[in-house]
Amino acid sequence: MKRILIVDDAATLRLYYRTILEGAGYHVVEAINGVEAMEKTLQAPFDLYIVDINMPMQDGYGFVRELRGRDVSQAPAMMISTESAANDRSRAYAAGANIYLVKPVKPDELLANCRLLLGEAHQ
Amino acid sequence: MPFVNPKESPATEHDERKRLRDCASLELQLTDPSPAARRWAAKDLANCPGATSALVAQLQNEPERSVRAVILTSLTELGDDEAIAGMVACLRSEDAAIRNEAIETMKLLPNQVSPIMANLLDDPDPDVRIFTVNILESLRSQNVEEWLKTVILHDDHVNVCAAAVDLLGEVATSASREALQGLKERFPDEPFIAFAADVALKRIDTP
Repeated sequence: MKRILIVDDAATLRLYYRTILEGAGYHVVEAINGVEAMEKTLQAPFDLYIVDINMPMQDGYGFVRELRGRDVSQAPAMMISTESAANDRSRAYAAGANIYLVKPVKPDELLANCRLLLGEAHQ
Repeated sequence: MPFVNPKESPATEHDERKRLRDCASLELQLTDPSPAARRWAAKDLANCPGATSALVAQLQNEPERSVRAVILTSLTELGDDEAIAGMVACLRSEDAAIRNEAIETMKLLPNQVSPIMANLLDDPDPDVRIFTVNILESLRSQNVEEWLKTVILHDDHVNVCAAAVDLLGEVATSASREALQGLKERFPDEPFIAFAADVALKRIDTP
């Protein structure tokens, strides 16, 4: 079973993503910020990261940048934010994100992008 | 919030405060090339009631997170209107780290930020309104639920309402029931809004 880490400080959003992803058969773990996400990553690797940008302690850019920079994981990262400006998008890709989505994300959109990043798009 | 990042220019014995410590000298040292000198200056300026302008100006330009953390701590201690305004300005920063640091600091100042919450929730920038809802999380004011209700009843931006309903999931009482039902009707094509409203309604029904 593919393991997905949701990194977001909003409890209801984590529950929303978890409900969708577990319904599709994924194993879901949650973290409330980049620091906790890194701790969980070092304990056991994940196949995919779903990361919010604005979080306390360490924002999404910082977490993904550290993930790549320290070579902790090259697993795909989906960044999700309320911000749709082009510079936010380019900053996310510069940090190492593979896909950038703008909130609110619908279930079909979330699942389609997860499958794409996990190489399951043909299934 | 642990603002100090140990990877950034750690303080050493060389950081000793060996320069002039009067307020005017400290303000000059805020732009010193040495991060350690800037950090010490920012720390000591917490004792200079007239230093808010200099601290706010440096906050917007300071590249080092650990120094920004100390500046924000000093602004928290000064806690005057200009300090709060400086933090509000940070909510408009393009730098996510600065925005988040300002949000976390403003959460520590409930008495000072409460009076400006209503204005910030009317800000033309939806991102500022979202960050304001994030700050409300820390306020223990009885107005919080009323402010959140106003947001979900009237704000046209779905992500502002999403942030508000997320927080209502934690604080809502039966007084919010009608507004939550109305929110689902205002955004019938947004599954997250319906999901989050139902979470909040369930919380009301099962306290």
